[in-house]
Amino acid sequence: MVFNSYTFVVFFIIILILHNLPVSWKTKKINLLLASYIFYAAWNPPFILLLWLSTVVDFFVGRALYTQQNVAKKRLLLVVSLIGNLGMLCFFKYGGFLLENFTSLINLLGANFHPAKPNIILPAGISFYTFTTLCYTIDMYHKRSEPVKSMLDFSLFVTFFPHLVAGPIVRPPQLVPQFETEHSATKKQLMDGLLLLSLGLFMKVVLADSMLAAPANDMFGSHTTVAALDAWTGVLAFCGQIFFDFAGYSTCAIGVALCLGFVLPQNFNYPYAAIGFSDFWRRWHITLSSWLRDYLYIPLGGNQSGKIRTYINLMLTMLIGGLWHGANWTFVVWGGLHGFYLWVEKIVNDKTGKITAMTSSAQKTVTGFLYALFTFFLINITWVFFRANTFTKAADIFKSMFGMHKGEPLLTTLAIIKVAVIIFIMIIVQWLMRNTKVLDVAYKIPWWLLGIIWAVLLLLLILSQESSSSFIYFQF
Amino acid sequence: MPTANFSKAALLMLLIVVASIISWEVYLRNKGFETFYYDDPALWAHNREMVYEPLEQATVFIGSSRIKFDLDINDWQNITGDHAIQLACVGSNPIPVLQNLAEDNNFKGKLVVDVTEGLFFAPTGSDKRPVENIKYYKEQTPAQRASFQINHLLESQFVFLDKEWLSLGAMLEKIPTKDRPGVQNFKGFPPDFGRVKFNRQEYMTDKFSSDTALQNIVKNIWSFFGRANKEPPVSGARLDSIFTVVKTAVDKIKARGGLVLFVRTPSSGDYHMAEKMGFPREKYWDRLLAVTNCPGIHFEDYPSLNHFICPENSHLSLSQAKEFTAGFIKIISEEKGWKFAKPAASVN
Repeated sequence: MVFNSYTFVVFFIIILILHNLPVSWKTKKINLLLASYIFYAAWNPPFILLLWLSTVVDFFVGRALYTQQNVAKKRLLLVVSLIGNLGMLCFFKYGGFLLENFTSLINLLGANFHPAKPNIILPAGISFYTFTTLCYTIDMYHKRSEPVKSMLDFSLFVTFFPHLVAGPIVRPPQLVPQFETEHSATKKQLMDGLLLLSLGLFMKVVLADSMLAAPANDMFGSHTTVAALDAWTGVLAFCGQIFFDFAGYSTCAIGVALCLGFVLPQNFNYPYAAIGFSDFWRRWHITLSSWLRDYLYIPLGGNQSGKIRTYINLMLTMLIGGLWHGANWTFVVWGGLHGFYLWVEKIVNDKTGKITAMTSSAQKTVTGFLYALFTFFLINITWVFFRANTFTKAADIFKSMFGMHKGEPLLTTLAIIKVAVIIFIMIIVQWLMRNTKVLDVAYKIPWWLLGIIWAVLLLLLILSQESSSSFIYFQF
Repeated sequence: MPTANFSKAALLMLLIVVASIISWEVYLRNKGFETFYYDDPALWAHNREMVYEPLEQATVFIGSSRIKFDLDINDWQNITGDHAIQLACVGSNPIPVLQNLAEDNNFKGKLVVDVTEGLFFAPTGSDKRPVENIKYYKEQTPAQRASFQINHLLESQFVFLDKEWLSLGAMLEKIPTKDRPGVQNFKGFPPDFGRVKFNRQEYMTDKFSSDTALQNIVKNIWSFFGRANKEPPVSGARLDSIFTVVKTAVDKIKARGGLVLFVRTPSSGDYHMAEKMGFPREKYWDRLLAVTNCPGIHFEDYPSLNHFICPENSHLSLSQAKEFTAGFIKIISEEKGWKFAKPAASVN
């Protein structure tokens, strides 16, 4: 079930009613758990078995990891959990990719090997809930937090429908304590939640789907070589589309959880106002980048094993982060390019310290804005690899973008105007709000102005009539 | 802002939204708009699920836009007592749907295949819509099924819920802008040309049927498509392979007891002339019937079907569709021997 569907509207109203009935806290949690399973099963019911398997295995393995004193047995348990979780992810997400690359390699060595293409369906959200359960077992191994006492709380932690299929990726200490004690949404939380849900849907439905998806799809799907203007417009359209799509989803998820009285971690913080790439990754898909930092970069040695090792760790983290997004070498290059940017930034920063000073400053200066624009420009370069299906297509787009060949005009004037206006406003708004939060702004403006803005968001949402299209990050 | 003021903001928002939607709905109804349905994969899949009705109780129609306009579903059902299941897709080749039905062992019913040569024998690129529809049908989730039902409930009540013509995107497209030379900007058909009912019946509005200016817009679109299509009509081995694919599919359906009939619906004017030149009957239509060993009804062969002048040269108006449907039923039952739930007497 997607947030931008009529089914979800009905589902959510029922959940809100059930959650506010005068019944025990345990009953409310069971309701939420069942609702979460229904939410997930509404995609593909059989895949719920995978979710159960992951939940049950990690609950018991996590508890055993915490109590086990024997180091060898402890390590074995961790390996079981890692193989179980990552094995499932590898099979469903990377099975076809691995076979394809293995086939290419074997054939390159002279063999004539042509296996049938596997028809593997990717279970929705597997990348997200695998990371959610993985961090639990790793935390238990390191005794970073207490094991979850009840199976019900652990199941709800893994399955809680707002974050289940596309994050934010939650850690046990962020959510489990909220399940342990009885509480319900305050009036403020309900209002905040509804506003965030409206904003998230507006970002997804109006901006991503209705305005930006078509020019991006037309340019990246074009079979001809396009002109520079069209190439840039298409890339900018995708840059906006992926932000509004994913940040829209996260905003909806946070809003929905808030309406039920639960707080989920922030996932986006005006990433296109970032000054430099460390700043970007502190603002884009925050829960993934912090997960990669804590469970990959730091275990690899982080920045504690010398300069060269730090650079290698950084690059490895970004390459794996790229691969997490999709089973294609283009995603790896996308991650690699971000790793390269971080390298360059680290070299410059180590010498001058300028970037850290600018990102940590609360002041918004013209120089800062120009640096943010330069960062934005470089980010757009990476999106070409992220969105293009092949390197040939990516190369073709780059040639068009930088005037290395003369292409055909493709996009209509209206499409170009739509993209230009939305991206311009997006950059300005993100820059102006880079040090604040949307709810803080909502509380600062007069109530009548908030009411009008909220109404405009909802009216545009209703008039868009774009419902039920999947969020881009579901495929990851 | 205190929480109480936040509640005031929410209330104001609700008032503005409700008042605006009601005003918009009333305005559209006063302008003469009616409720229509968006002919998306969900609506197609909903109809696809109905094909398992017994042979004597239902007929499935596949093809392109002509059969969607030319067959009057209500009249068909009233006259024959037979459920008409419309699976044709506008602007596309029906062969993927034919194959999908052939591969479905549970489909054993009556099938009418509409043949618009330019699409049926198209070399490439005209099967996108049916392929998407079939994919949606096979992969639709329980959530999508539920959303379809809720969507139907809302679409049947509100005029403004018309994605094709009244959505934000569609309204923005109406803003006049000048494109750069070389940009192919297909502005689409006039809204009055094709409206869709829940049973996927497509029809021209009365305004379109009587407005030659609107009809000329569509005629110009056909000319635009004709100029844009640089590929010659398919022939030789490619044509043979199409016949083989169609015959294989038809044989599978017939082997299960199903019935298949091809129909060539009317076209007129320059369009018809161009079709006759591009797709000579003996090379395409006659050979199709011979290869598949299926009955066929070509509008040129029957006085009751060959006198129509299509308003925009390619599709029949609503009143013409009623006449065509009556004539078609008469031929299919009397000459081709198809049996319907209602006795033959009532067909006349």
